[in-house]
Amino acid sequence: MRLGDSDDQLLARVAVGDPAATRAMVARKLPRLLSLAGRMLGDAAEAEDVAQEAFLRIWKQASRWRPGEARFDTWLHRVALNLCYDRLRRRRELAFADPPDRADDGPGPDRGLLAADTGRRVGAALQSLPDRQREAIVLCHYQELGNIEAAAVMGVSVEALESLLGRGRRALRVALADMKG
Amino acid sequence: MNAERFEALAEAFGGDVARWPADEREAAAVLMAARADWARSVLGLAGEVDTALYAYAPPQASVGLADRIAAAGPRPGRGRWMGFLWPAGLGAGLAAACAAGIFVGAHLSAAAVSAEPLEPVTMAVSDQDFDFDLDGEV
Repeated sequence: MRLGDSDDQLLARVAVGDPAATRAMVARKLPRLLSLAGRMLGDAAEAEDVAQEAFLRIWKQASRWRPGEARFDTWLHRVALNLCYDRLRRRRELAFADPPDRADDGPGPDRGLLAADTGRRVGAALQSLPDRQREAIVLCHYQELGNIEAAAVMGVSVEALESLLGRGRRALRVALADMKG
Repeated sequence: MNAERFEALAEAFGGDVARWPADEREAAAVLMAARADWARSVLGLAGEVDTALYAYAPPQASVGLADRIAAAGPRPGRGRWMGFLWPAGLGAGLAAACAAGIFVGAHLSAAAVSAEPLEPVTMAVSDQDFDFDLDGEV
């Protein structure tokens, strides 16, 4: 793996079947895809499915990719988010057909604030946000995209992105208020 | 930048000004210098949400996932058309190629027979001279 390779350079090597480049691309993008899909879907197994599907799109796209026309990471985020939204839509259809019992994510008398428990509660609070607010937070906070790039991935204006972020984070503050201190 | 804008940015982008939009940071720094205690309080409040978000770890890849994904990647010498043919059944592709070869070969043979009598052909096997005795030993 050549550490200095840009995404475009790596993709060009992937396109000609360079196995080292293929492994390097997986090493570079798999954690990012799992982070994105895991936090959008709140389910590790589904996140892996999305990551695998996204990589199939990468392998297919590699020989057609035109460097400079778009940023590869932006394209990849859009692909992965579309795959996540497909799954969220399917979930809603299933939930509509057969509504599940709602899990109690709130604090209970025996709930300690251990790190894993804190993580679970934050995850549950994040999953309870409207999809677009969660998407904005995942892209900006976890994926560390700049506001212009995140807005481009979401297909909204920078102002709309800021509004989604603000509303999402305010809702999280309220949901997690009892965790303070 | 006024106080309201500063608070809106903290609410949206969190308590770390380094993660705010690049074109807003300089003005934010000016306001932070002028109203340090207030700015610290606003950023501290926003930072609580950041801290909570960091507690939600991403899923780790299961054993073998990266290998499975890489194994499905493009291979050397497989262009777009080979990539299309491969999963559809290489055997079918090869069978079609063989059939085409036999068809062309048969037609060429027929054409050669009908044209002129065959002449003896000398073929170079290698750049070495071989001596054969009657027993066929080299």
